[in-house]
Amino acid sequence: MTKIILNGREVDADPEQPLIHACHTAGTDVPHYCYHPGLSPVGSCRICQVEVRMNAEAPPRVMVACRTPISEGMIVDTDAAPAHAARKECLEFLLKNHPLDCPICDKAGECTLQDYSFDEGQGAGRTVEPRRKLEKRKDLGDVIVLDQERCILCSRCVRFMDEIPKTPQLVVSQRGADSVIETFMDRPLTGNYQGNLADVCPVGALTLKPFRFKARVWNLQKSASTCAECSRGCSITTEVLRNGELKRFRPRANPDVNGYWMCDTGRFAFEHANAPERLAGAALRNGQGWTAVHPIDALEVARDMLVTHGTALLVASPFLTVEEGAALVALGRELGARPMFVSPPKNELADDLLHTGDPCPNRRGLTELGIDGLSAHDILAKIAEHESVVLVGERVAELMGPEALAALPAALRMIVFDSHLLDVPAADVCIGVPIHVERAGTWINIDGHAGRIAHARPAPAGVQLLTRSLEGLADLLTSETRAR
Amino acid sequence: MNEILVWVIKTGFIFGGLVGTAAAMSLAERKFSAWMQYRIGPNRVGPWGLLQPIADGVKFMFKEELIPDGANKWVFQLAPLLAAMPAMMTIAVIPFAGRVELFGQDFGNLSITDLDIGALYVLAIGGLAIYGVILGGWASNSKYSLLGGLRASAQMISYELSLILTILAVIAMTGDLDLRAIVEAQNTGGVWNVLEWNIWYQPLGFMLFVVATFAETNRHPFDFAECEPELVGGFHTEYSAMRFALFFIGEYCAMTVMACLTVTLFLGGPSVPFWAAAPWFVGFAAFLVKAGFFLFLFIWVRWTLPRFRFDQLMHLGWKVFLPLSLLNLLATGVAILFRGGA
Amino acid sequence: MVIVKRKTLSFSERLYLPEIVRGLSITFRKMFAKRVTRQYPEERLETTEVTRGQPRLVVNEDDSIACVSCGLCEAACPAYAITIDGQETDRFIEREPERFDIDMLRCILCGFCEEACPKDAIYMSDELELADYSRAALIYDIEKLKRPKSALEQRIGYVNKINQRWQTPSSTS
Repeated sequence: MTKIILNGREVDADPEQPLIHACHTAGTDVPHYCYHPGLSPVGSCRICQVEVRMNAEAPPRVMVACRTPISEGMIVDTDAAPAHAARKECLEFLLKNHPLDCPICDKAGECTLQDYSFDEGQGAGRTVEPRRKLEKRKDLGDVIVLDQERCILCSRCVRFMDEIPKTPQLVVSQRGADSVIETFMDRPLTGNYQGNLADVCPVGALTLKPFRFKARVWNLQKSASTCAECSRGCSITTEVLRNGELKRFRPRANPDVNGYWMCDTGRFAFEHANAPERLAGAALRNGQGWTAVHPIDALEVARDMLVTHGTALLVASPFLTVEEGAALVALGRELGARPMFVSPPKNELADDLLHTGDPCPNRRGLTELGIDGLSAHDILAKIAEHESVVLVGERVAELMGPEALAALPAALRMIVFDSHLLDVPAADVCIGVPIHVERAGTWINIDGHAGRIAHARPAPAGVQLLTRSLEGLADLLTSETRAR
Repeated sequence: MNEILVWVIKTGFIFGGLVGTAAAMSLAERKFSAWMQYRIGPNRVGPWGLLQPIADGVKFMFKEELIPDGANKWVFQLAPLLAAMPAMMTIAVIPFAGRVELFGQDFGNLSITDLDIGALYVLAIGGLAIYGVILGGWASNSKYSLLGGLRASAQMISYELSLILTILAVIAMTGDLDLRAIVEAQNTGGVWNVLEWNIWYQPLGFMLFVVATFAETNRHPFDFAECEPELVGGFHTEYSAMRFALFFIGEYCAMTVMACLTVTLFLGGPSVPFWAAAPWFVGFAAFLVKAGFFLFLFIWVRWTLPRFRFDQLMHLGWKVFLPLSLLNLLATGVAILFRGGA
Repeated sequence: MVIVKRKTLSFSERLYLPEIVRGLSITFRKMFAKRVTRQYPEERLETTEVTRGQPRLVVNEDDSIACVSCGLCEAACPAYAITIDGQETDRFIEREPERFDIDMLRCILCGFCEEACPKDAIYMSDELELADYSRAALIYDIEKLKRPKSALEQRIGYVNKINQRWQTPSSTS
């Protein structure tokens, strides 16, 4: 570590990283557009200018912090008047051609161009020349729309495509005042990492199609969580609109797991979470139909079934948290059964960047609890040997295959803890559970890193936590055994 | 002509006129009060709001009638009738005008009947009005109603004394209980018939009588039976719909009768000033004008004076009005004695 | 302690009657005074350009809504009366409201939305009446809020006049 003096305070700096990294690590904000901690620095936007003296005797000079290497004893002042003046001039140039369509722009509210203009910029422009007229709605494939007018040519997106998925597709074409971001021959973008372009873009030039104009970012309630799509368990932020609708998943910086990125599969995986017609509370089979009951009553019915119908098969969902897995193991001990979880086959989405292709986010956590992953086919074969079966966790019915479950004999006693009502002949009791954005817990990713999932929105009224349901059922069974 | 038919026509005319006046008074009350307060008053139903009483009547008929839990149902339903009836009965003996001749027919005097003891009848029937109020207040099973009814009865008894004593003075002057005789004694002919009106001989009695009629009819400033700030609505707090309206019809009828009685006793009834031999319809018109003034006075006073306190009311009734009316009667007697009898 | 000295009443005052007559004469004279009643549905309050009635959305001459659903009025609203959801359009202005609800029962007619609007799309109209049979009917949706620009001209002119006091000339558009 190298020592530098930052704003009159001695701080440690990583000599491998540029000066701006040291400033940010020390908690001093330095404006930046082209610099991204996950990408190579180029120093094209010039907004990160700070005043630097190589030592106490050297004259002060204004330098771009993202391209200035650390040297021992350098004296940095991010707040000096010449630095501010330089940033202000730089912003004037950036804003010269930037359209003032913030009311329409999706980036508004999380746009650093807005923030720094507010901090440094001047209120009104001085130019009388017209702005550049460029394409406002350039379609770049299924995920991204490009607004060339808003682009400030920081080239973050170009570098991202070059450096992270290593599939170069974007370029800055033309030169000077005619520069624009383009794909070769206007071909649509490909790959599973396009969504990150909208994140790296410091302005509203690259926007996500599914999110376009759907919500204002300041209306979104954000909570730190973990992605559910594969066993990588990327750290994400869930963003929920006022009515509880999930609007975005965005990557959250976590150098141990995902860096600054996430794949598009995980980014857009909220259709299941936004699905309507959730099972609120619990339901009991009543002839051909279902009767809504309180979960506690449903648990008592489940207890009676488990007591009278032999050893049950406990089948878990791979989305169970460690806490829920532990509760399930405890329940299994009560019943004398060893739970297992449904392990769907690996999918073809696996890549060498982030996606593991294994759709079980908590495979490692559940395996370490002693719950083994079996394929749906193997589990169905085991069900045939049992009189009763308990399906536990969100999407468990979906992963088992609804057709296969529908084919099971009606005589089988089936107790289902799922987010949706499972209307098959074999099912007798259905108890609602919260899905992964509605509960807190821990998933262990494939490398053993714990990822917290967050309670981002309330579960439907009447739904009680799965841990509570499982512990309640175990308690009922204990008192039953004692009564005997 | 059939005597009964004549009688029925006259009854219908006078009784209809009384109820019509009561209805008109409900509108006049609101109109005059509005004008005195810089407002316009009801003006939505009919031209200048003239059909408002009809709209009110329809509304009252269609409203739900509530009988409070624990009320004495029979008495509760009877009380409004008792309150309205005496006033309507009293109108029978008021002599509105002299002999009526119309279409060559002789209809007799314009009054339902001319009782020999008309004045006594008025006092006797008028005294019954208290029953409606006190029974209504008592039967409602409500403390406000009961207090309102009690106050009303105490007040009406107190002022009835003064009322009777002042009437006695007038009767003493005329020497007859027949109201028509009293009227005729005030119009014996001559240009200066206006000087024969009792008001000039009984100025104190007239004043006492007018004030006592305010108290008798429970009007401002003596409306303790209702007294909204203290008693919600007084004796009719629990009443609704048509029975509530009956109390009001009774009150306005009582006002009308009292106005007519004042005119009869003190202002010569149908006597037209300076025209002793005026035809009956001029006399009737004169009667209406005089009575109309007193009806207006009722409204006028209501929207001018604040309500008395109850102890002030009793103080005024027993310590001021009773001695004054006794004095008035005594002075009248002494005067009659010295002038050699009436 | 305050000692209130009661005025001793003169004989005529103690007699009541002259004072009553005085009171009666006052009320009689007032019967002919000028009326102050305003006949509301027929005679309405005159609205002027400063009248700050219920907020309404501007519809341009080409029948397109001026609002781009930027959400600034929603954020500025101190009563949380406004709810907006956006959607994409094919027009040059790419964004328009899919849903624009103002809960008129919450609206306090403060005019913050008008002040916040960067697109001159919401103005305080001269409409002041608010009555309906249910609460739900008083949550006005976009169709109930739309008004042609001509209907709001008076207020728009006034707001522009006031804004000129502090706006500096700018080439930005």
